[in-house]
Amino acid sequence: MLRRKKTKSTAISPTIQENKAYMQERVGLDVSFDVGSRELTVLKKKIHLYYLTGLCDSAIIVELMEKLIEINDHESNSKKLPEILENRLVHQQVNAIESMDEAVDQMLSGLIIVFVDGEKQAFVVDVRSYPGRSPEEPDTEHVVRGSRDGYTENIIENTALTRRRIRDERLRHEMLKVGERSKTDVCLSYVSDIADDGLVQLIKEEIESIEIDGIAMADKTLDEFLVQRGWNPFPFVRYTERPDVAANHLLEGHVLIIVDTSPSVIILPTTYFHHLQHAEEFRQAPAIGTFIRWTRFLAILASMFLLPLWLLFTMEPSLLPQPLSFIGPNDEGNIPIVIQLILADLGIEFLRMAAIHTPTPLATSMGLIAAVLIGEIAIQVGMLSPEAILYIAISAIGTYVTPSYELSVANRLVRIILLIVTGLFGIYGFLIGVTIYFLFLASLKSLKTPYLWPFLPFNAKAFLHILIRIPVPLSNSRPSIVHPKNNYSQPSKKKGL
Amino acid sequence: MGDKSKLEQNQEEQPISLLSRSLITGFVGGVFWGIVGLFAYYFNFSEVAPKTYLLRSWLDAGWTDRWLGDVVSLIALGVISVIVAFIYYIIFKKINSIWMGVAYGALLWGIVFYVLQPIFPNVGPITGMGEYTIVSTICLFILYGTFVGYSISYDYEDTLAKNTQEDRKTQTTKA
Repeated sequence: MLRRKKTKSTAISPTIQENKAYMQERVGLDVSFDVGSRELTVLKKKIHLYYLTGLCDSAIIVELMEKLIEINDHESNSKKLPEILENRLVHQQVNAIESMDEAVDQMLSGLIIVFVDGEKQAFVVDVRSYPGRSPEEPDTEHVVRGSRDGYTENIIENTALTRRRIRDERLRHEMLKVGERSKTDVCLSYVSDIADDGLVQLIKEEIESIEIDGIAMADKTLDEFLVQRGWNPFPFVRYTERPDVAANHLLEGHVLIIVDTSPSVIILPTTYFHHLQHAEEFRQAPAIGTFIRWTRFLAILASMFLLPLWLLFTMEPSLLPQPLSFIGPNDEGNIPIVIQLILADLGIEFLRMAAIHTPTPLATSMGLIAAVLIGEIAIQVGMLSPEAILYIAISAIGTYVTPSYELSVANRLVRIILLIVTGLFGIYGFLIGVTIYFLFLASLKSLKTPYLWPFLPFNAKAFLHILIRIPVPLSNSRPSIVHPKNNYSQPSKKKGL
Repeated sequence: MGDKSKLEQNQEEQPISLLSRSLITGFVGGVFWGIVGLFAYYFNFSEVAPKTYLLRSWLDAGWTDRWLGDVVSLIALGVISVIVAFIYYIIFKKINSIWMGVAYGALLWGIVFYVLQPIFPNVGPITGMGEYTIVSTICLFILYGTFVGYSISYDYEDTLAKNTQEDRKTQTTKA
């Protein structure tokens, strides 16, 4: 693929008609309606403008053309036309290029190309204006207080939102291109004297080695190429749509990948515990933040283990200690509890999927059907036992508490598997299932980072940061897992404060 | 380099040594998995709890059967676990594989339940134990072994990698 690209490289021809023919053949000028061209005559020489209708700002183009035509009134030296032209293209981003490939690439990203008859070079003016929305607060990461801007689909805006928060001259935004056909812009952001060179190099190599025609699904596709996890359901990268979260991770020594056309930014490297954090706890007092975190841990643990555990207790009530012996259904119902739980879990999955596709006006009636019909009547008919519904509801809420959507879905899968093995093998299924689950998680690695770090492999200091939201003035070192080149975010003398 | 010294990097706070980190891992591992073991005991997954071994074998006082007994035995477990971590540190730290930790856990289980069994008068021989107890304690020991073993091995590898990197850095700056 790469070789083909090189052989195709054609120089810009001094005969302007040849360039036009090239455009007709290669880009489909006159066939594709969004490829436009305009011919002008300046100082008796032909000038061709090429542009893509949807992606550029007409107002600027018109103004540029006015200036070009004014040349006829003020200048007379037609030998110096290129110099005059470059001078008169009043825009801060004007470049001269010499190959047709570059011209085509640039035009397709929304810049205008100016060819001059008799010249071996063309001018490129950046008049891009992409259709898109302005920054809004992301839906999945609300906070009560704090900034309300979020990343958008525009990579330039996204890098700007990051730069607004880190004005450091050492912040690097490296632009790469992925996709033989889509030519999607991918930006690698890191702070050059904090982030680990090896990591940056590794990610860059991985991105550059991707050979695919297009990544329309943007960040998700890139994530699959980068961490190569195959069938493993657990998320290996953290996505965020909040610039403050992203900037914070940059300062910790993480690397960001921003992909054009996606508002989700990838944070690397990521561990399991990154998916359990949320911007909200950093906006609250440390004590409250810690409380929020513990509550969340509890909810997430419940989302995975509560149902299998309860199932185990209904199967073998002898396991329950005396004070808890009230647990377990009085009336088992007509269907085995395992089947009840799995059915209800699938039912909740139906609801979740339906909620994604249902238009808002219909969502209320859907909720009604779900709550009243399924919940009430399932008990009356004798399908589900009331206690089963209680535990299913708790674990479903626990699933929704998980800040990372990807992780919540993976946890749900774990829950169903644990339910099945517990149903089949009882206590052995449960114990061995949980052990294998832990060992499986511990054996995972994403970009050479153990997935369960800092719990397993254990790192006391970092684990304390997971358990307790430490006040910012007291946390002066960066997490060691990113191997930062510079360990301290503030002088450690302050620690005495 | 001048830039870095301004940021006070490498100036204060000598990082804790690999050995002491390993021992801390041992202590925390002992306490944490001891708590898990306590839960397993409470929910009758297992007939034995940490205190069954560490206290009840020798003491018959009333408090040993209440929460204080659990707390004391957890701390004792932490201390013993430091020794366990130290042994791993000496023998196996160079084997950077999660399976070494798993094997270490299984080995510990064998030692506690077979080799050391005679010194705990109130714990019957393994043949007399319920199957639940055997399965749950094996699982627990495997997780505990992984926790201690994998943490130490990974830390060792990581520190080694970091040191060679720093060596290379100083070499290039010298040159």
